[in-house]
Amino acid sequence: MSGAFPILSALIFLPLLAAGMAALIGQVRLLRWWTLISTLAIAGLSLTLYRDFDPSRAGFQFAEQAAWIPFLNVNYTLGLDGISLLMVLLTTLIAPLCVLASWNYIAARVREFMVCLLVMEGAMVGVFCALDFVLFFAFWEAMLIPMALLIGVWGGPRRVYAALKFFIYTMAGSVLLLVAIIALYVQAGTFNIPDLMGRPYSASFQCWVFLAFFVSFAIKVPIFPFHTWLPAAHVEAPTAGSVILASVLLKMGAYGFLRFSLPITPHGTQVFTPYVLWLSVAAILYGGLTALAQTDLKKLVAYSSVGHMGFITLGIFALNAQGIEGAVFQMVNHGITTGALFLCVGMLYERLHTRELDLMAGLGKRMPVFATFLGVFCLSSLAFPGTNSFIGEFLVLSGAFSRSALLVLVAAPGVVAAAAYMLRLLQRVAYGGTHNPDHAAVADLNLREVLTLAPLLLLVLWIGLHPELVAGLLRPSVAHLVQQATQAAALAGR
Amino acid sequence: MTEFWVHPSLILILGALLLPLVPRGLRRAYLFLVPLLVFARVLLLEPGTFGQVQFLDWTLVFGRVDALSTVFLYIMGLMCIIGTLYALHLEDWGQHQAAWLYVAGSLGAILAGDFLTLFLFWELMALSSVFLIWFRRRPGSPAAGLRYLLVHLAGGVSLLAGIALHCRAAGWSFGAFDVAHPSLAAYLVLIGFLLNAAVPPLHAWLPDAYSEATPTGSVFLCAFTTKTAVYALCRGFAGMELLIPLGVVMALYGVVYAVLENDCRRLLAYHIISQVGYMVAGVGIGTQLAINGACAHAFAHILYKGLLFMGCGAVLHTTGQSKFTELGGLYKKMPWTFLFTLIGGLSISAFPLFSGFVSKSMIVQAGFEEHLLWAGFLLMLASVGTFLHTGLKVPYFIWFGKNNCKPETWERAAEPPWNMNAAMITASLLCVFIGCYTPFLYDQLPYPVEYHPYTAYHLSETLQLLLFTAVGFFLLIRKLEPAPTISLDLDWFYRQGGRLLQWLARRPVQWLDGGVGELYRVIALRSLMGAAHLAGRFDNRVIDGAVDGFAQGIRGLGGRLRLAQRGQLQENLTLALLALAGLALFLWWGAA
Repeated sequence: MSGAFPILSALIFLPLLAAGMAALIGQVRLLRWWTLISTLAIAGLSLTLYRDFDPSRAGFQFAEQAAWIPFLNVNYTLGLDGISLLMVLLTTLIAPLCVLASWNYIAARVREFMVCLLVMEGAMVGVFCALDFVLFFAFWEAMLIPMALLIGVWGGPRRVYAALKFFIYTMAGSVLLLVAIIALYVQAGTFNIPDLMGRPYSASFQCWVFLAFFVSFAIKVPIFPFHTWLPAAHVEAPTAGSVILASVLLKMGAYGFLRFSLPITPHGTQVFTPYVLWLSVAAILYGGLTALAQTDLKKLVAYSSVGHMGFITLGIFALNAQGIEGAVFQMVNHGITTGALFLCVGMLYERLHTRELDLMAGLGKRMPVFATFLGVFCLSSLAFPGTNSFIGEFLVLSGAFSRSALLVLVAAPGVVAAAAYMLRLLQRVAYGGTHNPDHAAVADLNLREVLTLAPLLLLVLWIGLHPELVAGLLRPSVAHLVQQATQAAALAGR
Repeated sequence: MTEFWVHPSLILILGALLLPLVPRGLRRAYLFLVPLLVFARVLLLEPGTFGQVQFLDWTLVFGRVDALSTVFLYIMGLMCIIGTLYALHLEDWGQHQAAWLYVAGSLGAILAGDFLTLFLFWELMALSSVFLIWFRRRPGSPAAGLRYLLVHLAGGVSLLAGIALHCRAAGWSFGAFDVAHPSLAAYLVLIGFLLNAAVPPLHAWLPDAYSEATPTGSVFLCAFTTKTAVYALCRGFAGMELLIPLGVVMALYGVVYAVLENDCRRLLAYHIISQVGYMVAGVGIGTQLAINGACAHAFAHILYKGLLFMGCGAVLHTTGQSKFTELGGLYKKMPWTFLFTLIGGLSISAFPLFSGFVSKSMIVQAGFEEHLLWAGFLLMLASVGTFLHTGLKVPYFIWFGKNNCKPETWERAAEPPWNMNAAMITASLLCVFIGCYTPFLYDQLPYPVEYHPYTAYHLSETLQLLLFTAVGFFLLIRKLEPAPTISLDLDWFYRQGGRLLQWLARRPVQWLDGGVGELYRVIALRSLMGAAHLAGRFDNRVIDGAVDGFAQGIRGLGGRLRLAQRGQLQENLTLALLALAGLALFLWWGAA
């Protein structure tokens, strides 16, 4: 480790430190401001990562290494490449927005809430930076409890059910993840992730490890049919919880596929790719269909997440540069767009105390500013050209097409379904139907809410019109990953 | 380009945009000031090419200043001042904005050095001038404005098509086409220009729109669209032989229809067609004298046609009527308006000492010099008709003759507001000044002028024509009495065509679309939503059922197993020993 400032450790432990400080603050107003300022400061710090990152190199940068548990060969190893950089930036950006969204929403046990939020932020950054498997697993598990608390304490009517379902489901997957980690350790003698990549494991070993990884990450993503925890969790969670869940937690599953399954078990990946691809297509179609049937706004967006994550896994398992680049693009975009949509739904819920679509009809007349934001985010969600999701989805479909035209042909109706439910949502909420309920008392967005949504709007349009902002960071890392996933497969065989 | 070249249109556009912000007390002064600024800018323009902007692959030239454009810019700037002065009494600032944007479009088109810029300002003219029609706010105004807009946009499409075809091969700069061998692109561009110049058969929009516009709006409308088109023809199609017969036919066509008209503003509008015919013929002849004549005629025409529209507009403004059958004998009520209109009528008829005398005859002379005898004679014939209806019929039947006014019309009739009179005085003085002091106009013309209008021959020829026309008028005055008729012109075709199109859209097309919509709703939408609801139920009952069921099952099992611990120590110990025994058996059996 060079004498450079350990910025990754700072990004992990500063939120924890802030959480510790927050635990000591009693007054609610001060607490909220403290959390906001600390998350903004951390976001500012993460922007220096963006500035100092060298986009031309493919390896892990900002590396830190320290011995942790020497007799088990477990080290405290951190590092970032293009993909994890984007995820870290997404995490640190979303955190202050979650604090802003919870300003008035969370009225009871505010201190515990802020502590949970900050601990989660630290853990999430840790997951993306960790280059040692035990460290990774520690952070992975560390995320679960605050999230379950967020849902279970501050959530809706069925929060206990949803929290337990989320926790047990994800934990069950994590168990298999642990088994895979241990198997790799036994085989290779190290927990260090870059060292585990590219080794000539036997074909059957790779398949088993891939399956173990797959179950864990598939539950996290979630891939159909392991997705049923998602609607429940999203519906019952508070706004900030939904936003974090949709923006960051879901990406961890996809990140896991990219960081572990593809480079460590390339042969296993190759064997199971056709099944995963068809499962992804099923997720796209299924997510689209079920979203169409929903009248609960949050559930609708939750099922749309299932569809969008289907695109991401489609891109990942296309195993070419375009597909993976599109998938990472979509990871960022989905984080921004769906996070924004959940924020919008949360704002509506704060005003109307309902999430039913019919009860919100015609709100656009009373809330034109809100309708504008909602409109842009809906368009982004359906991958309208000019918005960020268009680039990602286009790259994913084009990568998938290179692999098999049939895949794209079957997935195409899912794109249409996405447009259908999003536009129906927008039309109902902003323009109304024939009998709109009386919304005379509803106020438009205040400054805090506009400030919450404005950065996301800016990013939607900026990335959509200047995708080089994101794409420039990705290319070498994605190229390296594709090389690892395809060439190394030839080596395996024993 | 080191310094920013101020485009005159920029001043007008900014002026128009800022107008609503000006406080009410300063508005009159502001309205007076902005056109003066624009005219000053026009006067200060240096010859050359300015305002070049890089846009994507193209270099747009916003400021091409040479002798041809300067003369048109001069008169357009002057007319803007006069027109704004005429409209100074309007409280409705939207009308001022529309007028200024319209003038900005015209100036921009005249200064355009490349086709793209030309097209941009061409469309600006069409889109802003339509508001001058819509602001009249009569029941028929929306339809009239829409007809005008559609016709102009169609012309714009033809122009754009021509530009696109031409510029791919020949580059973007706006210069002369090859008139000896015109290509399809040249014809398309020509159609665009001819439509704006109201050349038959593309002319019917002009009387329709200009009579439907506001009184102040017509003053602007009559000057800019047609003369900008004349400029464009001068620039692009000078010497094209097709234009000579077109121009002559135009001159006669306009005159014939004008004589038949009952509405004084429609009469003047048809007469614009006639006068522009002179200019188009001049462009067609193409010699230096002819082009000079076209420019001079445009200059003079803008002034005296504006004056005539101002006069009739004043009558309309005060009485609310513009038809001869509703007017008459107004001399007692508005004598000054009569005087100004008469000056306009005399100018247009090319009476000596007025502006038309020194400008119109240049074109006729050019025609004779090129040995186009039939063109020259027919154009002179048109001036007979001109004097007949504009010089004689209009002043006589409005201000003298039989008093057809209704009582309320008579009550309302009075001199117009001071600003209208001031504008009319200015225009009248200019008409006389140009007629008397020819170097004022001739020094502006693009080519050197060797023409002398005040020759004995010319004077005698003109006076003969005019005086005998007057004699004829008074002899035949019974036949020329106004009658409430509507003349059918070529716009009958597209008005009926429009109705047919509407019927088509409303019946057959709508029926088909409705059918497809029903089909979509019944088949596609129902099955899609059915599948969606099925998927939702599947998700809830089957998948979630499995997951939750599994969890419930484990819970149930745990519940059963829990019962095994009832708290009694003997039972626990018994169970433990049994389990131990079982384990030992299993291990012993496994080892064996």
